[in-house]
This record gives sequence, structure tokens and C-alpha cells, in this order.
Amino acid sequence: MEGASSNGVLSKLSLLEVEARSRGSHPQPQQSRVKELKAKVEALKTKRDQLKAELQTHKLLQRLRLSEVNHSEEEDMDEDSESSRVLRLMARHSELTDLLRAHRLIGGYEVVKTHQGKGVCMSIATGYEGVYLDTYNLEMDTNPKVRISRHNIPPFIPLDTLAEQSDLQTGIRTFLDTLSQHLNAYVGRRQQLKLMKEQHKSVEVMESNILCSMLVLMFTMPEQVAVLCLLDYKDLSRCLPTQVKLDCEDEKLTDSPQWKKSCSLLLELPVHRALTAMKKMGTVV
Amino acid sequence: MEKSTKCFLQQLVRRTPTRMLKATLEKWDRLTPHQRQSVDFTLPKWVITQTLVTICEENGLTMKHITELEMMHVIENPNQGTWYSFQLLDPEDDAHSVELMLFKEQFKTHLRELMRNVSIKIKKHTDEAVWIRIAWGSGFSRPNHLKPTYVVHYLQSPYVFVRNLTSKLKPLLMQSLTLSTRHQAIKDANLSGPKLMAIRDLLMKQYQQSFPTNDASPLAKENQPGPIVNEQAEARASRRRMASEAFGKGAVPQLQSAVYKLETKYRDPSNRTMTERDEPFRCVVKYSSSNILESFRHCASAGIASTPVTPLLSSILLKGRNYFVITDNAPAAASQTRQADL
Repeated sequence: MEGASSNGVLSKLSLLEVEARSRGSHPQPQQSRVKELKAKVEALKTKRDQLKAELQTHKLLQRLRLSEVNHSEEEDMDEDSESSRVLRLMARHSELTDLLRAHRLIGGYEVVKTHQGKGVCMSIATGYEGVYLDTYNLEMDTNPKVRISRHNIPPFIPLDTLAEQSDLQTGIRTFLDTLSQHLNAYVGRRQQLKLMKEQHKSVEVMESNILCSMLVLMFTMPEQVAVLCLLDYKDLSRCLPTQVKLDCEDEKLTDSPQWKKSCSLLLELPVHRALTAMKKMGTVV
Repeated sequence: MEKSTKCFLQQLVRRTPTRMLKATLEKWDRLTPHQRQSVDFTLPKWVITQTLVTICEENGLTMKHITELEMMHVIENPNQGTWYSFQLLDPEDDAHSVELMLFKEQFKTHLRELMRNVSIKIKKHTDEAVWIRIAWGSGFSRPNHLKPTYVVHYLQSPYVFVRNLTSKLKPLLMQSLTLSTRHQAIKDANLSGPKLMAIRDLLMKQYQQSFPTNDASPLAKENQPGPIVNEQAEARASRRRMASEAFGKGAVPQLQSAVYKLETKYRDPSNRTMTERDEPFRCVVKYSSSNILESFRHCASAGIASTPVTPLLSSILLKGRNYFVITDNAPAAASQTRQADL
């Protein structure tokens, strides 16, 4: 009976068993590959959903900003939902960042956060007649009080006085505006002096000072008459003088209309332009 | 020529290096070109001195003219001796409109009221600096021109720089300066050094400072070739940034020393005898170098000094001083005095 088992039913059965087992193991590599691909599909789906959501948010933000600008009816969004509130904040934030960037480009100030939000750094750009000149910076601590910690503003600009005049805690905008005015005026006056020295070499600068708040010039009128000109810039937030005094030995000239015209020119125009005009008129040689 | 004038001229020529003397003489218009050429600067000093004395005698020059020469020389070469800085406080309402003529008049009047025999010379330099040379006499003697005090001031700025002033005469000068610039008080600015331009640049903020900005710096990314990656690039960039914020960017004013006078209690848990003492442990820490700000900046960016930079060191630029007295009342200063031993 045992000899017949190798060719008999049992052997056949065992052969079938082996075959069945081997067939069972084949789909495994395929299955893992399928699993891989399925996982990849899932990942791509989630990424697509994420991008779709971002796109949606951006579209909503745009609509929100436009609606705020045009004061149109609110979109049919759930007023109290958390997401709409967040969206509104995000819209406001992006609007403010754009405004800040635009302000800086037109020559206003730039504000940068420092020390992990515990301070700010303001940059004030100055310019005159379309030319960008120096940039001044102020670093301020915001806790516990608003206080200036570091700056590169020259000491003849009355920074402490200006800070006291406009309360730093509440009126920082006024402070920055006044400071920017003073700095731009100083830089403007300095630039005027530089341009005047370049363009009018016949005019002698008798006296000037580091704040450029006072200028004494000597120029010659026709027939070798020397004229002493005193320009007083008492208002430090302006580029133009507050007082002009012309002096010369010849008494008769002081009453001439040319004299009065020169005085008014020097009061109304920046000094280098006024001198150009006076040269054209023939008042100055 | 008077004996004192001759003496003064001889001393001046002796003290001045030949090369600088030559340059200053060219600018001085009291000698004719012929006379200037007749001085042979290759000969020994005593010969040059003799020649110059003869020429000045020929021209009938007086002490007034020779002091002019000395002043010209000092203005061109101010880096001798030690300059001390002072700060004017509480300006009156018309402090901003003080102009040169008024200042000159007022200063001379005030100083002469306080001391009769003084010789004052005031000159305005091209960079708006007002230079004052004062030779002090006393009630009985004539002004001593051999040890003059020099003062430099920029009108409308609060700082005054002084060289060679004795403590006896200090109150006289301070009072005259305060009154003539229309301020109410003056104090020591605790900044001194041999280089006038360095302390001037420091106080007038004429050096480059580094501030945080939104602009991406052009050299932000270092392109490392191939697989070599600098592991510490970020840390290094951060150290460099903090160093330049504390000590300036580019060329910094050449300060030569910083002095910290410590009046704090000794703190060392392992040394009970010293810690038990009640009085503060007095000591003075002095840093000196040909350019200490540059050295500190390098230390901080290389990591030798810890960053963020301790306020003790960054106060040099921030407060514009190089002499500090540290006491225990300021807890922050006290806790960081131990870091001062670099």
C-alpha cells in the first residue's frame, strides 16, 4: 500500500497542495506595488486638496479686500465662523503689508520687527529734488514703554526735544512725521549749499554751520559792488529761509526794485535756483 | 624779536617733525616764497631753527604770528596728547541761532572777565569746527604760550573737545563755554583718546551703523561648491550681524582704549575670605589696542566673545563713552562683570 503512495492519490494531493501554495505567494509583490501606488495617489490627492484650499483662500481674500474698498455688500459668508474671522484678519494683514511697502517706496518710513517682536526699527529715507540722500534709522524698544534705544541721527537734530513734544507712547506717528520733516529739511538745506557751491563758483560762502541753519554769502553786482547776503533758516523743518538780509555799501541800491526782487527770490526759491534767476536778471555777476 | 617769542619759536620748531613743519610753512602766508625756499630742510634741526628765527626777525613777526603758525600746525595734526570730550546740556531757546561772530565775542568777554591775562585765538576750520587756542597767564604774569589749551567745538552741536587743560583752570573754561553757547550746564562726556577725529566721529555719529532691514542682503547666500556644506553658516552669519550691530559696520572710529572701573563686591563661592568682605573689590579693567572697536567686532564675529554682545561692550558705541564706572546698584551690570575678563 505504501509503495503506491508516490504515484497514488496522496502524492497527487500533495502536488496540488504545493502548487496552490506557490500560486498564493505570487500576488504578494504585486500587492505591495499596488499598495505603494495607492498611497501615492492618496498623497497627491491631499496635496491637490491643499492647493485648492489655498487658492480658494486667496480668492476669498481678494474678494474681501475688493469688497472693503468698494464698500459693497458682504459676501454670503457665515459672519461668526472662525474661518471667516481669520480670513478677514489675513486680508487686513496683507493689505497693511502692501501699504507699508508702497509707503516705503514713495520715500516714507520702513518698519521692521526686531528682537523677536520686542522692538522695532524705523528707517526714514531722505531726499531732495528727486535725489535720494541719507537714510536714518531708529531702533526702539516697545516693552515696557516705547523708548528709543539706538539711532544714527546726528546730535544737532533735536531728537530728544521732538520725542518729548509728541508723546512716544501714543503719538508715534506724529513723532515720526515731525522727525522726517526735520531730517528732510536738514538734508535739503545741506544739498542746496552743495549745489550752490558747484553751480555758482563766483559766490563766496563767508559763513555756514553744521546744521545749515544759517548762511552768509558774498556776491558781486555789476560795477564791482560787493553785496553781503545773510540767510537765516529759523524754522528747522523747512528748506527755505525765514529771513533774508542784503547789505551793501551803496545806499542807493537798497531802494531799487531789483533789490526787493532779489530779496523775494531768495525767500521763495532754494538758494541755488534763486542765484541762477538773479544771474539771469543781471543782478549778480 | 622778544626773548619769549624767540624761545617759543625755537621750541615750536624743535618739537615739530621736519616734514610737517615744511607742509605747515607752505600754508603760512607770513613768509615770502623766496624766504620759504631759502630754508634747507635737509640740514640738521638746529640749523633750520636758526634760519627760521632769522627770517621771522627780518619780517618783524610777533608772538601773535607765531601762535598762528602753531595753531595751523595743530589743526592739521591734531593727534597728539589726549583729547577729552564734554557735553553741553539744557540749551536756552536761542542756542540754535548762536553764530560765529556772537560766539567769539561772548567767549572772549566771558573768559577775560574770569581771568585777566589770557591770550585767546579763535579760528573756524573748513569742516565747520571752531578751534580755540588759549594761553593762560594769571593775575600777575603774562600768558604762557608754551602750554596752550586747545578747544574744538561745532556750533549747534552739544559737544566740546579739549586738550591740555589743568584742573585749576577747568571751571573757568567750562563757564565761559556754557555761557557763550547759551546752555545751562556742561558735563564730562567720559570719552577721551589721542585721536580727535575718532572721538568726534563717534559723538557726531559719523560712522556707519548696521540696522535690521527687510532688504535681502546681496551676499546672503554663499555658494559652496559641490558636496561641501558649511554646517555653521547660519550661526556665523548671526554672529557677524550681532557684532556689526554692536560695533558698527565698515571703518569704525579709531578708539584706542576703554576703561572700566569696577566698584562691585567680589563674587566667588569658592573664596570665602574675599566674599565675606563688606567693601567692594576695587579694580580697573582696561582694554587697549590700535583700534578697539575693530578688535571687539572681530572677537564677537569669530565667536571669541559671546554673542549677543554684552551691554558693557556695546555701550561704547551706544552711549559714546569709553570710561565706565560699574557699581552693584545696576544688577545687570553686576552680573555681567564676570564676563569682562576676556
